[in-house]
Amino acid sequence: MAEVITPSTPEQLREAIGWAVGTNSPLEVFGSASKRAFGHAVAADHVLDLSKLSGVLFYEPEELVLSVRAGTSLAEIQAVLREKNQQFHFEAGNFPGLLGDGGAENAGTIGGLIATNLSGPRRIKVGAARDHLLGFEAISGRAEDFKSGGRVMKNVTGFDLSKLMSGSFGTLGVMHTITMKVMPCDEKTRTVLIACDDIERAGAAMTRAMGSENEVSAAAWLAASDIAKLGIDVASTMSSGVVGLRVEGPAPSVAWRCEALRKLLAEFGTTEELHTINSHSFWKSVADVMPFSGGTGILWRVSGAPASGGRIAAKLAAETGGQVMMDWAGAQIWLLLPGDDAKAGQVRQIAQSEDAQAVLVRAPADMRAAVPVFHPEDAALARINQKIRDNFDPAGILNPGRTRPIASDGGHA
Amino acid sequence: MLRMPEPNQNTLARRKDIIAAMRDIVPAIGGVIVDEDQLRPYECDGLMAYRQLPMIVVLPENTGQVAAILKYCHTNKIRVVPRGAGTGLSGGALPMADAITISMMKFNRVLEIDWDNRAAVVQPGVTNLGITRAVEHKGFYYAPDPSSQIACSIGGNIAENSGGVHSLKYGLTTNNVLGLEMVTIEGEVLRIGGKGLDQTGYDLLGVITGSEGLLGIVTEVTVRILRKPETARALLLGFNSSEEGGNCVAKIIADGIIPGGLEMMDAPAIKATEDFVHAGYPLDVEALLLVELDGPKVEVDYLIEQVGAIAKACGAVYSRISESEEERLLFWSGRKNAFPAIGRISPDYMCMDGTIPRARLAEVLTGMQVLSQRHGLRVANVFHAGDGNLHPLIMFDANQPGELERAEEFGADILKLCVEVGGVLSGEHGIGVEKRDLMPEMFTKDDMKHQERLKLAFDEDELLNPGKVFPTLHGCGELKTLHAREVANKFPDIPRF
Repeated sequence: MAEVITPSTPEQLREAIGWAVGTNSPLEVFGSASKRAFGHAVAADHVLDLSKLSGVLFYEPEELVLSVRAGTSLAEIQAVLREKNQQFHFEAGNFPGLLGDGGAENAGTIGGLIATNLSGPRRIKVGAARDHLLGFEAISGRAEDFKSGGRVMKNVTGFDLSKLMSGSFGTLGVMHTITMKVMPCDEKTRTVLIACDDIERAGAAMTRAMGSENEVSAAAWLAASDIAKLGIDVASTMSSGVVGLRVEGPAPSVAWRCEALRKLLAEFGTTEELHTINSHSFWKSVADVMPFSGGTGILWRVSGAPASGGRIAAKLAAETGGQVMMDWAGAQIWLLLPGDDAKAGQVRQIAQSEDAQAVLVRAPADMRAAVPVFHPEDAALARINQKIRDNFDPAGILNPGRTRPIASDGGHA
Repeated sequence: MLRMPEPNQNTLARRKDIIAAMRDIVPAIGGVIVDEDQLRPYECDGLMAYRQLPMIVVLPENTGQVAAILKYCHTNKIRVVPRGAGTGLSGGALPMADAITISMMKFNRVLEIDWDNRAAVVQPGVTNLGITRAVEHKGFYYAPDPSSQIACSIGGNIAENSGGVHSLKYGLTTNNVLGLEMVTIEGEVLRIGGKGLDQTGYDLLGVITGSEGLLGIVTEVTVRILRKPETARALLLGFNSSEEGGNCVAKIIADGIIPGGLEMMDAPAIKATEDFVHAGYPLDVEALLLVELDGPKVEVDYLIEQVGAIAKACGAVYSRISESEEERLLFWSGRKNAFPAIGRISPDYMCMDGTIPRARLAEVLTGMQVLSQRHGLRVANVFHAGDGNLHPLIMFDANQPGELERAEEFGADILKLCVEVGGVLSGEHGIGVEKRDLMPEMFTKDDMKHQERLKLAFDEDELLNPGKVFPTLHGCGELKTLHAREVANKFPDIPRF
């Protein structure tokens, strides 16, 4: 019979995994299950629910360090950070809301965030979740305790297993303690908007902005129809597609850099500026991929070199008939397809021709069972990845099938 | 005393055959070094206390040759020690009597500068500063700047995950690498990452960076390049105690200011450097902060004032702001010459590299003075204050019997103290052989086994850089055994539904 195991201490977690190893019982591991609709379904009878393994262990704002149990909700963490005017610099959006799994109100847990290595618009400047994980403690698929990293900013003591755990989808070990680097919120934020309907030209505008010395902390392009959904008057009244370029920092510097960007990019189209509240609102919408959330349409995320973004996005839109949105200065393209065909062959072929990778983010369960959600790996890398998996979870009891359709998951059914 | 794995007699007996095989793979003149006098320069890296002549040194020129060498070594079970510029401070490139040292310094070309994607593709033997030199004419630079940047190679930086004085704001090597080409011990060429940001599978780019040559040999590197900030200015701030100095660092950061550089020196370090370079450092303070702000001029001028005000509130008794580029460089000249300055007042010195939570600084410095008296050796401190990375410089005289050993014991005690207060053994120099045997201070047996499991996924026969990082590498048979626990149906405390 299926069981839901809900440990509330690291010791209980170790016992649970020990039981699973001892009885060869595969486990589906999650925090709040907010991203369950992302990736492949897990082939496991039992569920390891970490939502009770929660709480802040310590938070030292002056040291820029926060340590929490892995099941702590992001909502709770954000409230704690907000009190001290701090944040996770990589600003992951509400990804669960995007999945259309009824989870819009549940932004997930810190463990889930690390396990999927999510990040938002600021990634182009400060990296992803993996760049902000200082250390962790976990129980591996061998039911053994292990840790790596620590609580300090600069640490090269031993292999950097924090990177290994980031984006591992709970297939190597189950983290119970997570220590993060946090950063102060900037004094000022503004966003320069440039009217631009042409996707390739928008890509070129972002490339020019990123190559300038204005320390742009986010660069995105939205089509006119998507801009209209943001509810930001200054942007809507431009009545066109819009490139957004965010500038953050001390007030005089922000004003100076916005001015410089408007001059630099004037030839691309008319420019406008969003100030504090509108600027925050704009980037929250980009982080949440708000124009494409709330529906059930098939959604792809294509990631390649930023300067190729305009060309890739234009090609994807033209050849699939889908709608596109660009983030990360072109390195991340969201593609919303019409109809119920994932067009996986076509999307992946376009991605591959540009040295990019395509991930099927939102699709019905039966489609995700048939189409590899994650971009197919190079064979040599796949072998190394499989060996790592086998060494950390030899019985294949942690999230079997989560990252690859079960038939090709090295036989760990 | 440092113990390394026993040389494999079988390998030593086959030295001639191995040389012939290497010459077949790398036919260039000077590509295979076998004579003792020519092997001598390779006997150590920047950690000169330990020396060992390599069996032979090979200098491949392309990825194909590296693959062929490693494949041969894998087939014939011959150990390999990868080597970059040899500037490492933890002995990561210390040779072995039965190993081929593979020097990557012929991989010295910049392959591509992709301005639009702000990326540089270079071979691993290109120096850290060489990357900046290749892009600075268009106003770009490569951010991580270890103090050896004029000599150290980017391949070595990948191996050690090198930092530098700007890492608080701009990150370590790992945050600035986009892609790698790496050859495995089996001779397989892996391409990982690239100019984009995401890749399916585990974050191999992340684990290879900082893996100290234990996972493979990197043959190509793609790094992010940044626009050089328009301007930079520095402040010198003096305090009557390290507590006050540390407090000022905390306040600056708590106020949301992340300086490009944030360095601290204690009184012995201030005195030694001032006597050496005459940077104008005050000699009547206990702690000196060097704060550098970079960015657009308007931002820098604004922040300089803010930092000045914070320092005043924190009790700074000395404050000087650089008014010109020359003056800024003069401020830095002291800090950047701290090591040679110590070298002037002591026949030998040993540089440690722990990181601590910043709030524990005063406590650690006090503890260090106690240890200094106990071991009868002087110590001076330079400190990447922003990120808590300490560089205690232990002064000793290797010609006095027993002093090297005492210095090593003192160093180990300092690192144990760092770990005790929640810090780590190494902030940026790596473990290598130097701190290898201290790893159990920080990690349990199971922690280490999981690190080894990563190692074994790449190199089952433990041929790549043996004797480094791990105190004792378990045979892979032992590690691969699954210790299934007898705990079936036996976890009473866990809520179930």
